[in-house]
Amino acid sequence: MATKASRSAARVMIAPSVLLLLGWMVIPLALTLYFSVLRYNLLMPGANPFIGVENYTYFLTDPAFTDAIINTLLLVGGVLTITVLGGIGLAILLDQPMWGQGIVRILVIAPFFVMPTVSALVWKNMFMNPVNGLFAHLASALGMQPFDFFAIAPLASIIGIVSWQWLPFATLILLTAMQSLDSEQLEAAEMDGAGPLARFRYIMLPHMARAITVVILIQTIFLLSIFAEILVTTNGGPGTASTNLTFLVYAESLLRFDVGTGSAGGVVAIILANIVAIFLMRMIGKNLDT
Amino acid sequence: MKTTLKAMLGATALAAFTTTALADTTLTIATVNNGDMIRMQGLTEDFTKKNPGIELEWVTLEENVLRTRVTQDVATKGGQFDVMTIGTYEVPIWGKQGWLVSMNDLPGSYDVDDLLPAIRGGLTVDGELYAAPFYGESSMVMYRKDLMEKAGMEMPDAPSWHFIRRAAAKMTDKDEGIYGVCLRGKAGWGENMAFLTATANSFGARWFDEDWNAQFDSPEWKEALTFYIDMMTAYGPPGASSNGFNENLALFQQGKCGMWIDATVAASFVTNPKDSTVADKVGFALAPDNGLGKRGNWLWAWSLAIPAGTDDEDAAKKFIAWATSKDYLALVAENEGWANVPPGTRTSLYENAEYAKVPFAQMTLDSINAADPTAPTVDPVPYTGVQFVAIPEFQGIATAVGQQFSAALAGQTSVDDALANAQKLTTREMERAGYGK
Amino acid sequence: MARAISTRRMALNTAIAWTIGAMIFFPILWTFLTSFKTEAQAIADPPVFFLFDWTTENYTTVQERSNYFRHFWNSVVISVGSTLIGLAIAIPAAWSMAFVPSKHTKNILMWMLSTKMLPPVGVLVPIYLIFRDLKLLDTQFGLIIVLTLINLPIIVWMLYTYFKEIPGEILEAARMDGATLRSEVLYILLPMAVPGIASTMLLNIILAWNEAFWTLNLTAAKAAPLTAFIASYSSPEGLFYAKLSAASTMAIAPILIMGWFSQKQLVRGLTFGAVK
Repeated sequence: MATKASRSAARVMIAPSVLLLLGWMVIPLALTLYFSVLRYNLLMPGANPFIGVENYTYFLTDPAFTDAIINTLLLVGGVLTITVLGGIGLAILLDQPMWGQGIVRILVIAPFFVMPTVSALVWKNMFMNPVNGLFAHLASALGMQPFDFFAIAPLASIIGIVSWQWLPFATLILLTAMQSLDSEQLEAAEMDGAGPLARFRYIMLPHMARAITVVILIQTIFLLSIFAEILVTTNGGPGTASTNLTFLVYAESLLRFDVGTGSAGGVVAIILANIVAIFLMRMIGKNLDT
Repeated sequence: MKTTLKAMLGATALAAFTTTALADTTLTIATVNNGDMIRMQGLTEDFTKKNPGIELEWVTLEENVLRTRVTQDVATKGGQFDVMTIGTYEVPIWGKQGWLVSMNDLPGSYDVDDLLPAIRGGLTVDGELYAAPFYGESSMVMYRKDLMEKAGMEMPDAPSWHFIRRAAAKMTDKDEGIYGVCLRGKAGWGENMAFLTATANSFGARWFDEDWNAQFDSPEWKEALTFYIDMMTAYGPPGASSNGFNENLALFQQGKCGMWIDATVAASFVTNPKDSTVADKVGFALAPDNGLGKRGNWLWAWSLAIPAGTDDEDAAKKFIAWATSKDYLALVAENEGWANVPPGTRTSLYENAEYAKVPFAQMTLDSINAADPTAPTVDPVPYTGVQFVAIPEFQGIATAVGQQFSAALAGQTSVDDALANAQKLTTREMERAGYGK
Repeated sequence: MARAISTRRMALNTAIAWTIGAMIFFPILWTFLTSFKTEAQAIADPPVFFLFDWTTENYTTVQERSNYFRHFWNSVVISVGSTLIGLAIAIPAAWSMAFVPSKHTKNILMWMLSTKMLPPVGVLVPIYLIFRDLKLLDTQFGLIIVLTLINLPIIVWMLYTYFKEIPGEILEAARMDGATLRSEVLYILLPMAVPGIASTMLLNIILAWNEAFWTLNLTAAKAAPLTAFIASYSSPEGLFYAKLSAASTMAIAPILIMGWFSQKQLVRGLTFGAVK
């Protein structure tokens, strides 16, 4: 089917997307690279002299840098773990016959539609606030001390909020995969005496493998740049307990208005994201080869 | 599905051709979501009626978001706003950069000499007034008279930190959900660091010595921070490390705090029976001291300024003159009562017999007058500003230091580690910025 | 399904699923309920659920403070606009990738996805400066461009995986039966592709609607969507749970309702090629 003519037609058809994205990537990236070697602070206008790699050394030696890397990985890893495991569980559950399946599905996917800012605000104030939050009321009703979420477990609290937002996405994709599973295959296995665990391990899980990869890929892309949830709830603190790489770059470029260092941080973040990307693509390549 | 799609397409096309140019001039005003500003939004009809042809667009943002938005816009000359709400910290720095339009030519009826000298001084650079104060504030002690009585104590007009601590101990009743003292703990240079810097001043501490060396390794800072954290841990509310001004206001209004040391402007909110459950039980006192001659109170004015290069300078000036005028104060008084007038900007307000009846009027004025930005500390310093250091690097440094102190309050680091980290990161930033060379 | 499911098993499934569903949904329900309370009831301990004096006062207050409908309208225009433009650019690309694959196809796709990993804060200042010079700050058009670009990789990828499921043999069979190119596209390809396109469109409207970094930083008043509207409630002003709830409800209700009504279409194509 692929003739020479259709090949060149195909190129023409891809061109707009590629060119636009190339522009979107190259222009800001070039400017960012350029700014990253200048002393450029918005609050101190004037000449922006060339200073070489000073911004990079400054950003990389920031005491918060290591914490930010660790927090980024914890955040991505934590949310992925919760949503993938939770998603598998929910997908299997929702695939079972029951009354009002449609309504349950509506309930489960709802958080996906909620703006990150709104969900962070609602969780922070109305649930996790240690004086007026619902969890605090619950704790005092049970005669316990209210738990101070954002002081004691800031990163875990953020992981919880973000997981709530992304669980529906994982569930939906995994559920679609489950529904495409041939039920006769399961029945046959059951008749052969395979217990529920064996059926899960040898039939369901392999069947969902591709879907799981997709969930991991898409979510990682979004989770690497989590920002609004942190800004609204903890502002990266206390200390640097919930500062991820994105937030650290934000602190440089929009709190200190140090565009030079912020740009250097941006470049570092892009490099690290691409390392993750290469890693992911290897994984996807194996699973998504068609 | 198809009809929805069509409707959406149609809607998009329609929107693309709709223009908003209804009035001759549209002013875009960036402001903070504080009570007084929100009240002003409700009263703008008075302005638009008097000034037909000027339309007002409000961009109301939370303080931190506002700051990043307007700073970024003014520094890049983005020109998105015609009027910006900024504070005593930004005005001198921005004014020096030539980013703001001078307000020296406001009409005579504006009576610029009526502005409180302390407030006006903070907004003036080399004789040019660069912003008009919308409301001014210092900080003071707000306390529950009923709880104080129950504790068998009496609040002096000028309490010491040790008195505050003793009172907090007696007022705290955690089973009843009453915490002796509520103080800011949320990290941010305008949040916990405003309070802690002012408090540290009264303990004899300072940010920098005269050669711009960071001073967090001094015994004074250690004493101040230890005092604050011990007191808050023992008598403060849970979650204090994420409480800022607004969070504490909510707690105090619910009757959960015995004392609250914060902005004087809060006085009108805590005594307003509409929002506050303790409106008739609140007393006021000057911010505490430690016997060293400096009190822990700050000085701030949320002010309206015009970024240089705006197209509508005249209209913007008209608006600012309206919003910060005596007439506006009278307008608020007429609509909402004298207690809700934006405080702390004009001498004439404090000479007004009606306003004198407001319970916190005198204490607010005394607090403002007790703050001295030109000599904020016990030992001499190379900077001005009470709760801030008026250099551009300050907001970045202080926010990072604020994170450290917030972590100490949350119990995640010790006081010593927090101070050592603060010292390290401040030195690092100051060296990079080229101070003390 | 030949297997009979016992009623007991069914009841158990139902009970577990409903409990979990209710728990996941609860924060949204709670926000909705709180938006009709007074501020005092909103923080009441023990909390009140349905038996309170329902009031719409919070909605009035919020509307007085900010022009909801303009923010709403900006959100609609920006999210729908960017999605439609994105589709117009992405459909040909995905189409040719799916039907005329070359050895670079997968690399191109993966490269496209990797542009999404650019942390927005890192490039905000350059973009802000470019927008300033092009007079795109605070315009719907400017935001449409940005959101189109940041979501384009997802659109291309989703469509690609969907189109790839369409068997090429059908086309060849049709061609042999003498179908013209026009009727081939119109009667065979399009009907098969519509579910995938619809689902892509819906997902992208949701993503664009909820995008909160660019929409907040590149707008002031004229083009500010609902994400900016909610930003003025992100710190309390005294007691504010009820007002916050009302504003939150207003911000998420349109997209939530759209999502619910179209969930079948959304789910149908939301596989990213995960189902074989």
